[in-house]
Amino acid sequence: MGFDHIDVLQSVIDGILFGSTYAVLGLGFTIIFGAMHKLNLAYAASAIAGAYVGIGVATLLPVSPYIVFIIGPVASGLLGLILYTCCFRLMPDGNQLAPLMASIGALFFIDEIIIHQTAGSPISFPALFEDSFFEIGEFGIRGDLVFVMLASLVLMALLLLLLFKSKLGLATRAVSQQVVAAQLCGIQTHKTNATTFIMAGVLGGFAGCLAAAAVGVLSPLLTIPLTVKGLIVTVIGGLGSIPGAIIAGFMVGAFENLFLLLRGVNERDIFVFLLLFVFLVFRPNGIFGKTIDRD
Amino acid sequence: MAYYLGIVQNIGIHTLLGLSAYLLLLTGQLSLAQVGFFAIGAYTSGILTVIFGLSIFPALFAGALTAGVFAFLVGIPVLYVRGLMLVVATIAFSEIVRLFFFNLNWRAMVNGVEVGPDSTQGFREIRYFAANGWEQIEVVSLIWFFVGAVLALLWWLDRVRAGAVLRAVGEDELAAQSSGINLTRVKVAAMTGGGIIAGIGGGLYAHSTTYVDHNTFTILLATFAVSYPILGGLSSVFGTLIAVIVIQGVMIEGMRFLGDFRNILFGLLIILAMNFRPNGLLDGNTVAALKRRLFFLKAKR
Repeated sequence: MGFDHIDVLQSVIDGILFGSTYAVLGLGFTIIFGAMHKLNLAYAASAIAGAYVGIGVATLLPVSPYIVFIIGPVASGLLGLILYTCCFRLMPDGNQLAPLMASIGALFFIDEIIIHQTAGSPISFPALFEDSFFEIGEFGIRGDLVFVMLASLVLMALLLLLLFKSKLGLATRAVSQQVVAAQLCGIQTHKTNATTFIMAGVLGGFAGCLAAAAVGVLSPLLTIPLTVKGLIVTVIGGLGSIPGAIIAGFMVGAFENLFLLLRGVNERDIFVFLLLFVFLVFRPNGIFGKTIDRD
Repeated sequence: MAYYLGIVQNIGIHTLLGLSAYLLLLTGQLSLAQVGFFAIGAYTSGILTVIFGLSIFPALFAGALTAGVFAFLVGIPVLYVRGLMLVVATIAFSEIVRLFFFNLNWRAMVNGVEVGPDSTQGFREIRYFAANGWEQIEVVSLIWFFVGAVLALLWWLDRVRAGAVLRAVGEDELAAQSSGINLTRVKVAAMTGGGIIAGIGGGLYAHSTTYVDHNTFTILLATFAVSYPILGGLSSVFGTLIAVIVIQGVMIEGMRFLGDFRNILFGLLIILAMNFRPNGLLDGNTVAALKRRLFFLKAKR
């Protein structure tokens, strides 16, 4: 098969548009990591679970299916609070393994409940503007992907506003910089961390709904790939770096779609995951990571 | 009888998986790559006995060696960077290995039959034991010989300097580093050792089940592998063994009537165990108390 530059550019553009959901998920992982210096591996699972709850409500109640985009994020935010309480709140401070392991447990707990409830089969998700399609020169652009991109950018802007312009954001950043000093200033760390989890959860719920809307179906098979790609975005961007996560999200999306074109759907993810190793070897601290993390 | 032997066999293989994660956990590193090494061991030794007609022992050795080499190669970049990055990188590694075998198509004609890994169809006909007249009891004995050997080795390790070095890195990296320990070297050594153990386990798994496919080697299995030593506790190798018996023997086999609720239960069990016993079932204090009881030592006050 031959590919000309139009095919390649087209797939990169689509990839960047879809990559905005990875950017949002990576941002969620990053702000949780920034706040607690711990990874919440159940985060992407809670995003998918939120979308499922939204779908469930939309099918049970006689309402517009687009209510998913409100119920989903709310449910994910609640799940974020539950995850914080179950997996992080009560753990001893010095123990890194216990909360990590508990969040892996939560990942499979959520995943298996979804599989149990849906018998593992995919559910169709309300599509966004199915037939809108723009043509710019030789390129075609899917309207729903443009919406996904715009919505993600708005979400990210809102989050940055919240983090850098509000008192809540100030507290979050204080806790992430120096826990003890923040406590001495009268900031309640547990409350702040819980808020961070809720914020990240709402963000993840939107990302889950947007990803599901762009794919067209919601399936438990999405959980692990979304988890791994969200984590890769976090690492490539530099653990704890917000601009890094956003740029890495678009990058992973573009890279993924490019290899979908070049190597097919079965081998695509191999190359995306190899990208992580390329970064680990040549730029272990990510695009914007600080260099003090080395041994 | 065959049913019970099957359970014993399964427990043996999962113990090897758990012990491979245990070795690296001693240095405080949580790796979800064990399932990748397990898969490499399974496919390598399977291909060697099926396509190249090798005997089981050189095939197991080659599988363990290949897994060890991969563990070493992956360990260097991954363990050089401190902290939680390892979890992400090892998940990615295990998925790369799984997807590689998902795409691997290597069919060969042996004695007029087409055999070998057939990408999505999996790798069937790993029939070395049946073809050479091994009884099931002999297979189980072979597996438990390796389990016993690895258990003894790790038990012995805790009584020599190397074990102290591993635990020193796990307890406090800064302190270990200031007493002249090269952190990356110790962690890579532990990763390589873990890879070899997982490789042997994988080879035994492939030959005792006669069939492997990519669906076996998921992150769920990797989670099982690390959950045994973490739930069992890192103070003693026997914690891992006890955790495997409880999870595989009692929870997975004993509660068959629960159906797929068992998988939900597994996640819940990990969350609860981590909240109530963050250092595992056999943590330092429990091991010390047990030793006093068993050997009638006087309690230190």
